[in-house]
Amino acid sequence: MKVEISREKVVSKKNKKTSRLIFEIRKNRFAYALVLPAFIAMLIIHFIPMVQGIYMSFLKLNQFTLNQFLKAPFVGLQNYYTVLFDKSSTLRSGFMDALRNTIIYALSVNILVLVIGMISALLVNRKFKFRGLARTLLLTPWVVPSYVVGMLWGFMWQQDTGIINRILVDWLHILPDKPFWLSGPNTLWAIIIPTVWRSTPFIMIMLLAGLQNIPEDYYEAAEIDGASSVQKFRHITLPLLRPIIAVNLLHGMITHIYSFNIVAMMFGHGAGFPGKWGDLLMTNINRNSFGIWQMGTGAAATIVVMIIVLSIVGIWYRVFREDLVVEE
Amino acid sequence: MKNNYMKNLKRKKKIQHIAANILLFIIVIFTIFPIVWMFISSLMTQNNLAAGKITDITHWENYIEMWNNIDFFKYFKNSLIVCSITTIIALIIATFAGYSIARFKFPGSGLFGTAVLSTQMIPGIMFLLPLYMMFIKIQRSLGISIVNTYHGIIITYSAFFIPFSIWILRGFFASIPKELEEAAQIDGCSPFGAFMRIILPLSSTGIIATGIYIFLMAWDELLFAWVLATTPDVATIPVGIRLYVGNYQNRYDLLMAAGVVSTIPILIIFFTLQKKFISGITAGAVKG
Repeated sequence: MKVEISREKVVSKKNKKTSRLIFEIRKNRFAYALVLPAFIAMLIIHFIPMVQGIYMSFLKLNQFTLNQFLKAPFVGLQNYYTVLFDKSSTLRSGFMDALRNTIIYALSVNILVLVIGMISALLVNRKFKFRGLARTLLLTPWVVPSYVVGMLWGFMWQQDTGIINRILVDWLHILPDKPFWLSGPNTLWAIIIPTVWRSTPFIMIMLLAGLQNIPEDYYEAAEIDGASSVQKFRHITLPLLRPIIAVNLLHGMITHIYSFNIVAMMFGHGAGFPGKWGDLLMTNINRNSFGIWQMGTGAAATIVVMIIVLSIVGIWYRVFREDLVVEE
Repeated sequence: MKNNYMKNLKRKKKIQHIAANILLFIIVIFTIFPIVWMFISSLMTQNNLAAGKITDITHWENYIEMWNNIDFFKYFKNSLIVCSITTIIALIIATFAGYSIARFKFPGSGLFGTAVLSTQMIPGIMFLLPLYMMFIKIQRSLGISIVNTYHGIIITYSAFFIPFSIWILRGFFASIPKELEEAAQIDGCSPFGAFMRIILPLSSTGIIATGIYIFLMAWDELLFAWVLATTPDVATIPVGIRLYVGNYQNRYDLLMAAGVVSTIPILIIFFTLQKKFISGITAGAVKG
């Protein structure tokens, strides 16, 4: 008897829950209608390919099996083994070089961009003649499309005729002879510097907007207390800009780990190979997937990169969690 | 005594100011030099470029030669068509969705928001590999071509740029007080009418900023274009440059001219709408 009642109760509770859900869905018909087109678009271009991509990483999908697509032979984790551990595989050595380069590249670009962006923002936040002009000029790299950035710097880095070696060696005599920028470890500089050049304006704008939001009184009060410029920066400016720095740091990490355009265009204008010290993860995966049709290992490599990025996001969230709460 | 101290302080401030100006000047020079060099070298002859003689900067015919020989107009036109239509489609769809998740709490709204954000952490190539295969399969089995067509690249771009646009727009819509629509609805507006008549005009700055952002991203896109638009009929500028480098490997004068011309549309958009764009983008960022 008792049991029966309680069961009835459960059922009615369940019914109540579903009817409540149906009611909620009906009530929000308008909201659903607004979301629907975006949902369909994301389903077709993001979610379905994403699931297929994960499945592809377990398939032996190369130039011979390409026609079978998802019916290609299932090989389990072999693609991951090839990419990560197979010492005899050229795919692995290429991937590892690209991984090393990408880590150095993403870290240096982010640090340099934040430091130079902060210095620039502080410099143009003062009152002086030509302030508007200075701000506009500092923004200009941002207008240059990134594939043009790659092409332009690839031209500037040329060993014999490039303008950079001409300035450094022929005109200023800083270096004794002209270094090769586009081969050997120098390549890392050759890809980091243009990326910093292109990415700094955006960060500068963000930091400048943050600086302008800080009330003048804070600085005046600090000045009365006899604080130096450095102290004012450390104890007022930096803490108040922390949320902006946090968001842009994450955005920068993701963008630069997934960086493709500049490096892809710098070497032979998109037709060349960036070399052992210039190849990034995305250029590497793209070349192996669409150049020699190693799609299975390409998908596996992509997922490895994705897992790395997701762990970076996790670490970032732990470090900056409190800043995000304050921001809300 | 006190006077002296003030004098010293003033002098120190002045020196600091001058030092800051010098530093700023150096940064500005480094910033604009590559762009200036691109422009200068686009006006030099191939021989002077190789010899490093920067004297004769008047060869405007480089631009004509580039325009005719590389067939640059075609790629330029393709880029304009693809990017403009992409911007319009993505902006409309993202505006609706962004408004919806900013205003309404419905079953699944939180999940949708998370899904939108998480797409931003996934590399483009993750979608590109299966998409390319899928497109080829559809072409073979149904006879609908998608690769190397305008609609293929436009659909892909539009969908690809929707999530981050939703996220930016959501912030703008959330900052508009809810009472405005409620008042409009009391006055007899339908929810959609209130959205169209009250909310859209109020958030025009944000919507325009987002639109510019989509256009810039699409203009800058390379990875998808390299795979989905490889024939000259639909190739965008970067693909066009890549298609023709084989023939013009050493013609840096022409390539730099192409670089200048590819930058101009962005330059125009940016400097005519700079105020709106920057206030829009930074407002979204400062608010998070």
